[in-house]
Amino acid sequence: MDTGKLIFITGGVRSGKSAFAERLAVKHAREADTSLHYIACGIPSDTEMQERVKRHQRDREKSGFTWRTWEQPVHLSHIAHQFTGQDVILLDCVTTLLNNYLFQEETTDTKIVADLVQEDITALCSRADEIIIVSNEVLQDIPYEDKLTLNYQKVLGHVHQKIVKRANLAILVESGIPLVKKGRLE
Amino acid sequence: MHFVTGGAFNGKGKWVRQQYPEDTAWFSATEYDTWPAPDEALNSIVILEGLEAWIQRELDRSLSTNILLDRNMNKAEAWLEWEQNKDNRKLVLIGTDISKGIVPVEKESRLQRDITGWLYQRLAAHAERVDLIWYGISETLKK
Repeated sequence: MDTGKLIFITGGVRSGKSAFAERLAVKHAREADTSLHYIACGIPSDTEMQERVKRHQRDREKSGFTWRTWEQPVHLSHIAHQFTGQDVILLDCVTTLLNNYLFQEETTDTKIVADLVQEDITALCSRADEIIIVSNEVLQDIPYEDKLTLNYQKVLGHVHQKIVKRANLAILVESGIPLVKKGRLE
Repeated sequence: MHFVTGGAFNGKGKWVRQQYPEDTAWFSATEYDTWPAPDEALNSIVILEGLEAWIQRELDRSLSTNILLDRNMNKAEAWLEWEQNKDNRKLVLIGTDISKGIVPVEKESRLQRDITGWLYQRLAAHAERVDLIWYGISETLKK
């Protein structure tokens, strides 16, 4: 099966990972003269989340490139058929997608959740030319006692490992500076 | 001694298994509640996994940080000695990085972070090789 290029970008809170991912997406879309798609998994359920969403939207507008936004909290595989072989997709972010499966959809079986995320990524990769996936670094904290958080970290860790294994390029962003962990940044 | 660190659920154990596929004796914190003691009958590669958990179980708020650090270092040193005693022995230590979260509210958790960080620094200084694992990808910090 022909699959698109997969780029994984992660970093801490306010590390500049989203901004970096957006710049990369714009650059690649410009070079290939193709369409830019943005998959937003966040559900703007409160004013803080609405603020965060707005800030990201303003940033994307400033890029001077037209993004098509898809608001899809779960089952990204269901919109995969909307994309074509030239598209560049930015997915921001894996932790939100995972949250939605675990806490909105209340899928408690972590193996099923991990499989669903994998399925979403596979479906997107099989359609688009390039998919850029953004996620968070949250696994270097003191170990949590409660099962819920521990389980969440476990699934996230496994999902990240699988994405990195499959990725053509994997980048850790520290204070806005990209550290290439896998592949080459051109 | 080979020290391996990185975040939780980042594939540290899996990576070590790939590096040392055979002739290994595993002591994991999921099975051993406290630091295991070296066994002179063991002549192989010994892997100690979950240092951060053993440090947590040694915590005692009535003791000073120096004493707690020494206590953990002594447990590790017993194994370093075991490794030195014979040529065919090798020690691999796996410790999760727990240093990059918000400052915990509980004093004991703050203490755990302190002791863990200090112990890792000492172990890294002792080690012949140190690797940092990030979602299955290794970066050699020292060799």
